[in-house]
Amino acid sequence: MAVVGHPQLVSPVSLVVALDIGGTFTDLVAFDLATGSIRHAKSSTTPYDLSVGIRKTLEKSGLPIDAIDTFVHGSTVAINTAIERNGAKTALLVTSGTRDVYQIGRGNRPESYNFFFKRPTPYVPRRDTFEIAERLNAEGEVMTVLDRAGAERTIEGLKESGIAATAVCFIHSWANPSHEVEVGKLLAKNAPGMFHSLSHEILREYREYERMSTTVLNAYVGPRVSKYLQDLENLLGSFGFDGQLLIMQSNGGSMSPETAKRIPVATMESGPVGGIIAAAESTRALGYKNVIAFDMGGTTAKVSLVQDNEPAIAQGYYVGGEASGHPVMYPVVDIVEVGAGGGSIAWIDEVGALKVGPRSAGGHPGPVCYGQGGTEPTVTDANVVLGRLVADRFLGGEMPLDIKAAREAIRTKLAEPLGLTVEETALGIVRIAIAEMSLAVRSVSVGRGYDPRDFAMVAFGGAGPLHTAEIARELHIPTLIIPRVPGHFSALGMLLADLRHDYVRTYYKPLEACDFTAVEGIFAELIAEGRALLEAEGVDEKDMTFQRFLDMRYIGQEFPIQTPIGAEELARRDIATLRAAFDRTHDRRFGHQAVDEPVEIVNLRLTAKGKRGQSKFPEVAKVSIGGSLGEREIIFNDPAKPVRCQIYDRDRLAAGQVVQGPGAVVEYASTTVLFEGDTLTVASTGELVIRINQANQS
Amino acid sequence: MTKAVDPVTLEVLRNALPAIAAEMAVDLQRTSYNMMIYEVQDFCCALLDAEGHLISQNIGGVSHFVADLGVVIKDGLNRYGKDGFAPGDVVITNHQRVAGQHLNNVCIYSPVFAGGALQAFAVVRAHWVDIGGLSTGFSAASMVVDPWMEGLQLDQIKIYEGGKPDEKALRIIRDNIRFPEAAMGDLRSQIAACKLAERRLDELFTRYGCDTIYSAIERIFDETERKCRNVVRGIPDGVYEAESFLDPDTADKTQTVPIKVKVIVKGDDMTIDLTGCSPQRKSGLNGRTLAGPYIAYKGLTGALEPVNEGSFRALKVEIQEGNFMMARYPAVMASWSRALPTVVDTILKALAPALPERIPAAHLGTLGGSMTFFGHDSRKGRDFVLQTIEGGGWGARPWEDGESAVVSVCQGDVRNAPIETIELKTPVIVDRRGLRNDSGGPGKFRGGLGIITQMTNLSEGRWSASNAGRRMCAPWGIAGGKSGTTSRNYMRNSGENDFKPFDPTRVLSGPGAAVRVETAGGGGWGSPLDREPEKVLNDVLDEFVSIESARENYGVVIDPRTRTVDASATSALRAVKRAGSGKEAKAS
Repeated sequence: MAVVGHPQLVSPVSLVVALDIGGTFTDLVAFDLATGSIRHAKSSTTPYDLSVGIRKTLEKSGLPIDAIDTFVHGSTVAINTAIERNGAKTALLVTSGTRDVYQIGRGNRPESYNFFFKRPTPYVPRRDTFEIAERLNAEGEVMTVLDRAGAERTIEGLKESGIAATAVCFIHSWANPSHEVEVGKLLAKNAPGMFHSLSHEILREYREYERMSTTVLNAYVGPRVSKYLQDLENLLGSFGFDGQLLIMQSNGGSMSPETAKRIPVATMESGPVGGIIAAAESTRALGYKNVIAFDMGGTTAKVSLVQDNEPAIAQGYYVGGEASGHPVMYPVVDIVEVGAGGGSIAWIDEVGALKVGPRSAGGHPGPVCYGQGGTEPTVTDANVVLGRLVADRFLGGEMPLDIKAAREAIRTKLAEPLGLTVEETALGIVRIAIAEMSLAVRSVSVGRGYDPRDFAMVAFGGAGPLHTAEIARELHIPTLIIPRVPGHFSALGMLLADLRHDYVRTYYKPLEACDFTAVEGIFAELIAEGRALLEAEGVDEKDMTFQRFLDMRYIGQEFPIQTPIGAEELARRDIATLRAAFDRTHDRRFGHQAVDEPVEIVNLRLTAKGKRGQSKFPEVAKVSIGGSLGEREIIFNDPAKPVRCQIYDRDRLAAGQVVQGPGAVVEYASTTVLFEGDTLTVASTGELVIRINQANQS
Repeated sequence: MTKAVDPVTLEVLRNALPAIAAEMAVDLQRTSYNMMIYEVQDFCCALLDAEGHLISQNIGGVSHFVADLGVVIKDGLNRYGKDGFAPGDVVITNHQRVAGQHLNNVCIYSPVFAGGALQAFAVVRAHWVDIGGLSTGFSAASMVVDPWMEGLQLDQIKIYEGGKPDEKALRIIRDNIRFPEAAMGDLRSQIAACKLAERRLDELFTRYGCDTIYSAIERIFDETERKCRNVVRGIPDGVYEAESFLDPDTADKTQTVPIKVKVIVKGDDMTIDLTGCSPQRKSGLNGRTLAGPYIAYKGLTGALEPVNEGSFRALKVEIQEGNFMMARYPAVMASWSRALPTVVDTILKALAPALPERIPAAHLGTLGGSMTFFGHDSRKGRDFVLQTIEGGGWGARPWEDGESAVVSVCQGDVRNAPIETIELKTPVIVDRRGLRNDSGGPGKFRGGLGIITQMTNLSEGRWSASNAGRRMCAPWGIAGGKSGTTSRNYMRNSGENDFKPFDPTRVLSGPGAAVRVETAGGGGWGSPLDREPEKVLNDVLDEFVSIESARENYGVVIDPRTRTVDASATSALRAVKRAGSGKEAKAS
C-alpha cells in the first residue's frame, strides 16, 4: 500500500474506490470524500483469472470494504474477449437476401497498395448466419410479414448446434423494431439460457453493416462479460461490500452492472478514458474550459481534446485497428494514439536512418536503465542520459536507474553508427518522439478545426510530464498543467465519471420538412428511456441532465455534424434557429459555412447523465518547506552544454510557490521538466501550472 | 544541396512532409460535397518541389493516382517558366495532352514561396461530378469519340493571379458544366487544401531553412530508392513475361485488347516494358499513365511506406508514344483507368516464377461492379442518383485464400453504398447482396468470391450497370490454381418474369424492373487437389463451395447427409484426377 503524501485514512465516512484493470497492473485508488485523502494500491494483473488480482489488490489496500459507498470498475474483459477471439459461439439472424452483409462489409481496402490486405475475420461464420423471411422499407412499413414459424424453427436449430449467443439485425429495424422485438421474444421464450442482442436496442441508426457488426460484437462478448461481472459482484459481496458498483464505459461515463451485462459493447474502449475524464474535471476546478489531455505511458501516447469541459466524443471506432478492424458504432471518447512511449525503442533502419518506436521494451525487460535485462535503448534511457530523469530519485528512489548502462547502449547501438555523441543521440531520440507526438496533438486540435493556442495541455501518465513542455512549445500551447497523481490519473478519473447513456435514432428529413411534433416525440421517448435507466441505477431526478443533439449536414455531404440543441430552442419550433446553430457548428469545425445550401437532419441523439457527487481534492499546504533536492545537470537544447539547475520534490512544494525553469520537479511516479524561462506555479489544489516560454524554441 | 543533415532533423522531416499531404486529404474530404471525393476518395494531394519532383503524397485513396503529378507541374513550369509564378497564383488544368486522364480529374495547384524564391508546389487532383461534354458521369463513355465530346479542356489556366481571381475564366467554367455549385464547392475545397499546405510548408521552411529541407528531401529520396533496390535485389535476375487481354472494346468489336508485359530484373534495377500492349484505341480506354507499373512496383517494394520521388527512381518503364497507355492527343480517355487492374495483375503474373512465394493469383481485374440508377422521384418530388461499386474476389496467395468481395487494386478506401442508405435516398429495394457461391477459383488456396447484388426500382428511372471488359479473360490461377468465374450482369424489365444477360446503359425502366450484377471471383493458387479436405469441407459447410464443386474441382467427396468428408473415396478420386491431369500435362 503506497501512501503518497497523504495521511492514513481514519474511519472513513464516505469512501469511493476505483479499480482499473490494465494489461500489466490492477490499480486501485480510494478517495475519502470527507477528508479528501487518496490512497492507492497496485498489484499484477492476473490474466488467467482477473478476480485473483482483484482480490489481491483489495487485500493489499487494507480498505474497509464494507465502508465503501461506490466502487467504480474499469475492465478490459470485453475488448480482450474480442481481440483474443474467445467469446461465445454466436449466431446471426438477418433479413432474407442479406445473409452476407456481415461478411462483405463495405468492400473497401484502406491500404491502397497492399496486395495482401486482410479484412476482419467475422465473429460469426457464414454457416451460423440465418435468413428470416421478413422485410421492412425505409419508412418502416412492413413489406413482408415476419415468418414466425420459420424463426422458431431457426431458433430450435441454434439450440441444437450449441449456439450460446445470438445477434438479430433486420434491415430498417432502426425505423421499425417490431420484427426484431418479436424475434427477441421468441428467443427469450424458446431459448431462455441464450444471450441475445437486438440491433435496434444497441443502436437505432441506419447503415446495416455497422449496426450488424456492433450487435454481433455485443452478443459475442456478452456471455463472458456477464459472467465476469457476476463473479465480481459475488467477490465484492464476499468482502461485505454493499454499496453501489459502477462499470466504466467507452463514452467516459459509467453504468450499473445490470446495464453493462446487457450492452457490454459499451465498455469496449473504456480503458484509456479515465485519464481524459480526470483531465476535464480537474481543470474545470482551475477555471480552464478547453484542454488537450496528453497521456504518455510505456508503450504509447494518447491525445484527446476537451472542449467546454466535455471530452470530445466520436460516434464509432474499429476494434482491431482502422485498416482491418470491426466497426463499433458506439460513442467513444475520441482519442488519437501514437506508438511513442517511455519504452519505445530507438533503432537504425536498413538505410541508416534513426527511428523511434513503434516497438516498445514494455515493462519487461523494459528500458536498459531499469537493469532488468533490457538491451535496446529506449526513450526513457535517452531521458536518463540527458539528466531529465533523475537516476537516484526514480520511483521515490526505490528503483535507482543504471545511467551507465543506458549510455553504453546508446553509444554502441546508435551513436557510433550514426557518428554522433551519446548526448546528441539521446537528445535526438527525444526530439523524434516529441515530433511524432506533436503531430498527434496537432491532429486532434488543428485537424478538427481548433487552434492549440486556445488550449491548455494536461499531461499525465508516467512519461507525460517529462515531455510535454517541448510539445507545448512546438505547438505554441501557452499553458501546461501537471495534475495531482499523474501516474494514477486514469483510476482517479473513474471516480469522477458521471453515469451516462447515449441514444441515437435515425430521423432522415430535409430540415425544411422537419416535423417538430415527431422530433419532440422521439426525444420524449429517448428521455423516458434514459430516465428509467438512470432511476434504476439509483440516480435522483435532480441529478439527471438530458442533452439533445441533431446530426445535420448540407445536402450532398456525407458526414453529418452533431449539433447541440437546447430543449427551449427545439420548443421554439423555428427552422431558422436550428439552421443557424448548424451553420455555426460547421463554421467552427471546418472554417466555412454555406448559408444558401439546403440542410438535412440525419439522426437525433440524446445523452442522459446522472451526476455523481464531486470528489474534491484537499488543498496543499501553504507554507513552503523548500522542496529543493539540490542541483543536477540537465541537457536541454544544446547537447554539449548541460545546464546546472535545481531539482524539486513535488510533495514538498507549497501552494502558490513559484519555480522558474530550467529545472525539474520529481515525484513518486513521474518527473516534470521545465525549460529556461518556463514558470511553474503550484495551485492551491496542488496542480502544477506552467507558463511556457515560447521564445525558447529549440 | 550537399549540406549534411543531422539524422534527427532528417527523421522529423521524414514524418512531417507526408503528414502535410495527409492533412490536405482530410481537409478536402471533410469539406467536399461530392461523393466521388468523400466516399470513393477519387482524389490525391501532393507536394512537389520547384522542379516537379514528388516530395510527398497522401495514401489511402485511389491507387492509380500514384506519383502522377510530376508531369503536370513540369508542364506548368514549361508554360510559365520558373519566374512565371507569383505568390497567390492558382492554376487549373485537366488537359489530356499531359494529364492523360478523363477530364473530370481536375488538377488545382499553387506555388509555394520561401525566402523570396519558388520552393515547391501544392497540388490537389480531384474527380469533379461533371465537366461538361455529352453526359455526367461515365455512362456516356462508350459514345464519346473525341476529347471535345468528353468535356471542358483546361490547359494550365491561372484562375488566380497574385491572389486575384480571374472572374472571366471562372465564369466560363461555371457556365459550361452541369452542377456548377458542386464543382465550385469542390474547387474551393481544393484551393483551401493547397493553401493549408502552403502554411505548413512555410512553417517548416522558416524553422529549418530551405537548404536543410532540400538536403533532407534529397536524402529521403535516396533512402527510399535504396529500400526499393534492396527488395529488387532479392528477385533473381531475368526477363519475365506474361500476357492477358481485355474484351474487345466498343469501337472495335472484333479484336481483344492485348496486354503484354515484360519485366527485366538485373541486380537492383527493374524495367517494366509495356511496349507490347495494344496501340492507341478508338475507344476511351486510352490514357497517359504509368500507374499500372507504378502500382505493381509500389506493392512489391514497400506497400505501406510513404510515396515520394525516390519510390520509382529505381524503376524504368518502357512505353512508346502511341501505346494506349501513352496515347497521343487527341484521343478519347473517358475510360482511362479501366485497363489498369489487369495491367497490374499481368505484371505480377510475369514475376510469379521469380517470386513463387510472394505473387498472388489474379483478382477481379476490373474497377468493380458499378450500379447506377437515376431519375426523378415523383412521390417525393426530388431527383435522385444511386451509385454503388460492388467489389469482387481477390486471387489466392501462396499461403492463404484470397479475400472475397473487395474493390480492385486501383481502389483503396472505396466503399459500397449501404442497403439502408440506398433505400432511404432512392426509390429502390435491394433484393439481395450476397457472396457468389462457387465463384472463387479452386486451388490449394481458394480465390475470393465475387458478389451478387440485385435491386428492383419502385419508380421510373434509368439503369446503368457497365460491362467492365473482363468477361473473356477470367481471373487466372497461379501454380496450378484454377480461374475465378467472370462477371455477368442481368436485367429484368418491368412486367417480365425472367432475368436476361444484359449490360444496361442509361436504360429507361418503369417500376418493377430489376438489375443484377455478379462480380468475378479471384483465381486460385496451387492445385485444388492439394487443398486439405478439412478446408474444402469447411467451405462446403459455409456454402462458399458446393458439394458438386468439391468433388469435381477438389476431388473431395462429401457425404451430403452426414456432411463429413469420405476419406477413402476422396483419396481414390484424387488419385484418379492426379493421373488424369498428369496425362493432360503430357498431352499438351
